[in-house]
Amino acid sequence: MSSGRASGGNGDSVDDEGSDENQGSDGGRSRFPRRVYAVGNEPDPRFSLANERTFLAWLRTSLALVAAGVALEALGFPQSAGFRGAAAFVFIALGLAAAGRAWFGWMATESAMRRNSPLPAPAVGFLLVIGIATGVLLVAFGLIL
Amino acid sequence: MTAPVDPGLQVERTSLAWTRTGLALALAGAVVTRLTVDRLGAVAVTLGLIAVVCAVAMAALAGVRYRRATASLRHSGTLPNDGTVLALASASALAVGTAAAVFVVWGMLGA
Repeated sequence: MSSGRASGGNGDSVDDEGSDENQGSDGGRSRFPRRVYAVGNEPDPRFSLANERTFLAWLRTSLALVAAGVALEALGFPQSAGFRGAAAFVFIALGLAAAGRAWFGWMATESAMRRNSPLPAPAVGFLLVIGIATGVLLVAFGLIL
Repeated sequence: MTAPVDPGLQVERTSLAWTRTGLALALAGAVVTRLTVDRLGAVAVTLGLIAVVCAVAMAALAGVRYRRATASLRHSGTLPNDGTVLALASASALAVGTAAAVFVVWGMLGA
C-alpha cells in the first residue's frame, strides 16, 4: 500500500485549525467552490459520483450540439443561408446553454445533496427539447422552401 | 488484484464517463477541424490540436481521479474530489461554443 494518502502523519501539532465537523480526512484543504462545500454534510459518495457523471453527460451534449451547428454551416446544409445560419445558431446557443447547465446544475445538485434537500428540477431539459425541435424545423424549412 | 470499493462500480463508471467524454471531444475536434480547415486553415488545425490535447488530459484524468477516489474511499469512506476540474471543463466547453458562434456569425456576414 505505497499509494496511500499521506494525511495520516499530521497528528502532532495541528491544534484546532478550524472546522472539523464533517470531514476530518480532508486535510483542511478548502474545496472549490466554497459555495457548495461550505454547507451541509458529505453526501453518499455514490451520489456525488452520479452527479459527476451527469455533469459529463451534459458536457458531451454540449459538444454534440456545437459540433452539429458548426457542421451545418461548414457543409452548407441547407443551402439557404438564412435558414442554415439560424439553425446553426440555435444549435450552438443550445450547446452553450448545455455547458452552462453542466456546471450550474452540478453545483445545485451537489449543494442540495449536502443540505439533504430535494434535487433541483431539470429546467434546461425543456429548453433543450424546444430548441432542438426548432433547429430541426429550421433545417427542414431550409430544405423545402 | 483488489476488489472494487462499491458493488455498483460507481467509481469505475465515472472513470469511463471521463474517458468517453474525452473521446467525444477528440471526435468532435477532428470532425470540426476537417470541416473548417478549408476556410480557417492554420486556425482550424491549431484548435483541433488543442481539442486533442484536452481529450488526452481528460483520459488521463479518468485514471487519476479513479485512483484518488478509490484510495480515499478505502481510507476514509469519503471522496477527495471537488469542482475545480469540472469548472475548467465547463469553461472550456463554453469557449468552444463561443468560438463556434463566432465562426457561424462570421460566415453569415462575410461569405
